[in-house]
Amino acid sequence: MNDETKKKVEDKILGLVKEYVGKKRFKPIDIVKEMEKEFASEGLTKDDIKAALKDLMDEEKLVYGYAGGSFLTIPENK
Amino acid sequence: MAEEVKKKRLTDIGPHDYNEYLSPVIKKNYGKWAYHEILDPGTMVHVAESGDKIYTVRMGSPRLVSGSFVRDICDIADKYCGGHLRFTTRNNVEFLIEDEKNVSPLKKDLEKMGYNVGGIGNIVANIVHTQGWVHCHTSASDASGVVKSVMDELYEYFIEDKLPSKVRIAFACCLNMCGSVSSSDIAIVGTHRKPPRIDAERLRNLCEIPSTIAACPTNSIRPDTVDGKPGVKVNEETCVFCGSCYTVCPAMPIANAENDGLSIWVGGKVSNARTKPTFSKLAIPFIPNDPPRWPGVVNAVKTILNEYKKGAEPGERVGEWIDRIGWPRFFKLTGFPFTKYHIDDFRLAETTMNYSSHARL
Amino acid sequence: MGKKHQTPLLDELKKGKWISFVREMERAAEKSERTEDLLGQVEESYRDKVNHWKHGGMAGVRGYGAGMVGRFSEFPDKYPGIKECHSMRIIPSAGFFYNTDFLRKLADISEKHAGGLLNFHGATGNIQILGMSQAEAEDVFQAVAELGFDLGGSGSDLRTPSCCAGQARCEFANYDTMKICRHLTEEYLDELHRPAFNYKFKFKFSGCANDCVASAARSDLAFIGTWKDKIKINQEEVKNYKKKFDVQKYVLDKCPTKCMWFEGENLVIDDENCVKCMHCINELPKALKAGDERGCSILIGAKAPLVTGPRMGMMLVPFYDVNEDAKNDYEWIKSLISNMWEFWDEYGVSRERIGELIGRVGLNTFLEGIGLEPIPEMVEHPRSNPFIKFTEDED
Repeated sequence: MNDETKKKVEDKILGLVKEYVGKKRFKPIDIVKEMEKEFASEGLTKDDIKAALKDLMDEEKLVYGYAGGSFLTIPENK
Repeated sequence: MAEEVKKKRLTDIGPHDYNEYLSPVIKKNYGKWAYHEILDPGTMVHVAESGDKIYTVRMGSPRLVSGSFVRDICDIADKYCGGHLRFTTRNNVEFLIEDEKNVSPLKKDLEKMGYNVGGIGNIVANIVHTQGWVHCHTSASDASGVVKSVMDELYEYFIEDKLPSKVRIAFACCLNMCGSVSSSDIAIVGTHRKPPRIDAERLRNLCEIPSTIAACPTNSIRPDTVDGKPGVKVNEETCVFCGSCYTVCPAMPIANAENDGLSIWVGGKVSNARTKPTFSKLAIPFIPNDPPRWPGVVNAVKTILNEYKKGAEPGERVGEWIDRIGWPRFFKLTGFPFTKYHIDDFRLAETTMNYSSHARL
Repeated sequence: MGKKHQTPLLDELKKGKWISFVREMERAAEKSERTEDLLGQVEESYRDKVNHWKHGGMAGVRGYGAGMVGRFSEFPDKYPGIKECHSMRIIPSAGFFYNTDFLRKLADISEKHAGGLLNFHGATGNIQILGMSQAEAEDVFQAVAELGFDLGGSGSDLRTPSCCAGQARCEFANYDTMKICRHLTEEYLDELHRPAFNYKFKFKFSGCANDCVASAARSDLAFIGTWKDKIKINQEEVKNYKKKFDVQKYVLDKCPTKCMWFEGENLVIDDENCVKCMHCINELPKALKAGDERGCSILIGAKAPLVTGPRMGMMLVPFYDVNEDAKNDYEWIKSLISNMWEFWDEYGVSRERIGELIGRVGLNTFLEGIGLEPIPEMVEHPRSNPFIKFTEDED
């Protein structure tokens, strides 16, 4: 996965989580499954998508929440 | 500048290498131990094929400890154990001593400091427990206080070997059951008795409705419309007060000062020795919370232990003793009433009935 | 220093012979003032018979979704010291072996940056430091990391694996529990730090069927030491035990399969019928030892009651040659684990433990999914009802 594709995946993930704030809590696996579908034609693997997720979390564009189970969300101050 | 800070930050370093913490005798005889002997309820010795020995002195701990406690045990380990020590799964401290001469002075020092030495052999083991009111938001009772009250009463059984077999007691402050509570000789479990209260407005902001509904083991939570907005309702007829929904949805609090308390379960075990591992079964469905010393719970545990001590054969765990004498006799001996709550009505309930004409009449 | 809050109810728990957690909290408060407020709030719980922690609110360190548990006081104005009272989980040293140098430094950290209170250990086996604010979390993390320790699991992730003392100090250990525990923790560090499962997943490693870490009751995947060949008998030591107690009554008669008896003075064991329960070895440790072909059984699916009831671990692999696989960095077990996790990712739902998933889809579906064959060791007995779903492939 090149940097350009990675950026595309990251934007898509952020868009998805933002769209559903307050409606659906995405577990990482939900996002991986969505993105696998979304980028099926580009042959991205689970690990590629996980790497994109890890970037987003390291940059704190996404953070973990917990309510019985863990989910991903947008940090409160953003 | 920011780049430099980021570079220095440590992350994903993984588990520490335990080899650094093994004493020379343990390192030398790793995987080459021949046998062990229990010398008294606070001391055992492991003997290696090489003839080397390592003595272990076991000390009780309340699990929730101060930095000063940690320094106390470090002082002892530095004085007698070359700075080596370990903890057990049941939260005891174990001092690992290479020189036999150090065993008895070490124990004397611990006793002088007010620490409890014991917990090996046919004893009441340290009570595995949870955080309770000290540090948990789902607790139906305190944990440390009940454990302290029970251990004060059973203290003689921690320091002396006078039971038919080991008795493992565990405590959990709610049905989440952090710890191996559901398969202990005696289990004490925090229990709610009223359905959750729904704060519709907070629920809208805080909770995801599908996962809240999915949290219920008895399908008692249904979607609902509150003031024209989405919400949930609880079927109080089928709710079993487990608190699972509260874990997922903070707007469904279930704690209730008058109605929360503790239940007592018996006869479980995890070891495969002789009989298969088994869950603890219900002995007393409910005892009200009675802080600070929980006399109801303490008496119940004492009653079970006394009857077990009187009736069990050497080597029998609580569950093996009850299997031999039968549940009707267990209830008769302990005086605990058998109620409708003792008959299972959850998943797999029908596997627990007596399909036979066997009855001790 | 005077007491900030009166605690007459908690003071009752300083009496008696068993070591008092209240005394420990007071000692912690001497070093970290905020714990005075914790004592105050717990006293209120003792009076009100209800806990006073808020539900919700996150705590964590950057990049990790696990390792901290957020805790907020219901009365932040009255007890400002515990407005935030989070705990941090730290992966223990395998077998819980430590030295005093590390423990002293950890005690210092807990007093400098938190409430001076620790758990040795939490229910899953982490060291826990209690009573820190989010603002302090990064400092504590870095201080702990400098000692060579990392944060543990929490949430829907691989929880911190734990093991018994194993071969370090036990003659019963059939494999190196500490080695595999550390190895798999290292291997799956990402799964531990960054929750990506349907729910929690636990590994526990016990060296023998006595199962001192309660793996069969508490872990999704339990590794319980066992052996395949004959129990080694030292007949002289058997005779010594016979002089001390009734070996027939307390050992042989208690054998679950009655696979041992005396022929004259000699103890004889029908090893083919032995279920490796450990009873005889526990009772006659000098006389009996496990055989040389050692490994472990793998049990799957144990869990606590929520959501669909408690489960005990069930037999998946009766004998896994873990000692041999250790030479290949546990390649076989890693492939089994990865098959399981893929199946669970694919078919599990939110908050469904793997045991519950197996219960829902059936063991056969699960076995097919992970590539294991059904074998009789997996069941207590074959089915007794006739509702068999024959499939096309049986033609």
